[in-house]
Amino acid sequence: MTESGSGLSAGLSPKGQATATLPRWDPLLRLTHWGVAGVVLGNYALTKEGSSVHIALGWIGLGLLALRLIWGFVGPAEARFASFSPNPMAALRHLASLARGQAPHYPSHNPAGAMMAYALWACLAVLTVTGILMTGASPMKQAELEAAVAAGDWSAVVEEGGDGEENESPGGEALEEVHEVAANLILLLALLHVAGVAVESRVMRRNLVAPMLVPRRRRR
Amino acid sequence: MTAQASSLLAGRRRPVALALFLLVQMFAAVFFVGDAIADVLEGDVGPHLYFEMLVALALALGVGLGALALRQTLEEMKAQDVALASARGALGDVIAAQFTAWGLTPAERDVAFLALKGLDVAEIAELRGRAAGTVRAQLARIYAKAGVSGRAQFAAWFVEDLLGEGLETEPQHG
Ligand code: HEM
Repeated sequence: MTESGSGLSAGLSPKGQATATLPRWDPLLRLTHWGVAGVVLGNYALTKEGSSVHIALGWIGLGLLALRLIWGFVGPAEARFASFSPNPMAALRHLASLARGQAPHYPSHNPAGAMMAYALWACLAVLTVTGILMTGASPMKQAELEAAVAAGDWSAVVEEGGDGEENESPGGEALEEVHEVAANLILLLALLHVAGVAVESRVMRRNLVAPMLVPRRRRR
Repeated sequence: MTAQASSLLAGRRRPVALALFLLVQMFAAVFFVGDAIADVLEGDVGPHLYFEMLVALALALGVGLGALALRQTLEEMKAQDVALASARGALGDVIAAQFTAWGLTPAERDVAFLALKGLDVAEIAELRGRAAGTVRAQLARIYAKAGVSGRAQFAAWFVEDLLGEGLETEPQHG
């Protein structure tokens, strides 16, 4: 089986040592991470604002976020919020020790990474909620509407009053404003986030990305 | 046999399958909750809404229970890994001690370890950058020091050690 090569390697593989103290991310955490990254980047770069794909990705983002938040309470130790509670001072201390080239290992996210994770999730929550409030309809409603239109029944659209291109409600403008600011913010944060991962990986010579990609047992 | 069919939900890939399943369930739950909220906001209350709420509740419960099941699976696998690693470490210690007892040289120890791991002469030679003849000679010296006839007996030496307790219980003659 896949285990055949690792029989008695306990003392023989110095390569395994470098990553030995990095947390081992579970599959659900990895799925939600790359799902969220895909949703954020996809809606930034690929989809047209307000298009049905954009809206669908937003709902998927909300589902991913909700699942990750549940996982923060019931997941394994390294995924639980309790093991990376927000602590701005500890985050600054971590960055300082990183600058000195001696950032310690942590059982979960490092304090700076933890702050970043909460900031990204907060942005995503604001984004999805404002987005949904702007469209005012769930995907199922949207699909019903589209099906009705496809069947030649335009009354459904008329009933809704306008097609959402322009928000008549006074709150609409504000929602849109918040949605846009949050979108720009999450992109900026994601950029910082990737830069942070790259810097720590380089300075401390630990590959932080690999545990996010594949479980350790399959890395060689 | 059934190995193929059950490998997805029984093997190492089980957590991934469970996580994917949870994801799909979560999407469905979010959509149904969203639709139910939209219905309420639009004053569209009726049997349709109650049915939707029921589905949403069932899906949410499913997500919660699925998450707990996934956590349990992950913890079991972690415990297995720890047990395996410590067993491996213990066996490694036993082997290293025995190599010392046989008086193997550092080079012979390396070759002996690789032989125990199941590598053949050509593979060992390549790994160590030595000629096959050299490795064969080293193996011969190792077997001589261990007092065994060949590779099979050499490996069996440690398996026997591992099963030692079990063998003691057999009736002994003489
Ligand atoms: C828009 C894009 C992205 C977003 C919104 C995002 C968001 C996040 C979040 C929320 C976490 C915390 C994970 C959790 O606990 O569930 C995280 C962790 C992580 N992300 Fe990203 N991410 C993005 C892109 C990337 C990319 C492109 C990479 C790879 C270069 C990456 C590498 C990582 C790593 C390595 C961690 C774990 C950090 C640690 O060791 O503590 N992320 N990310």
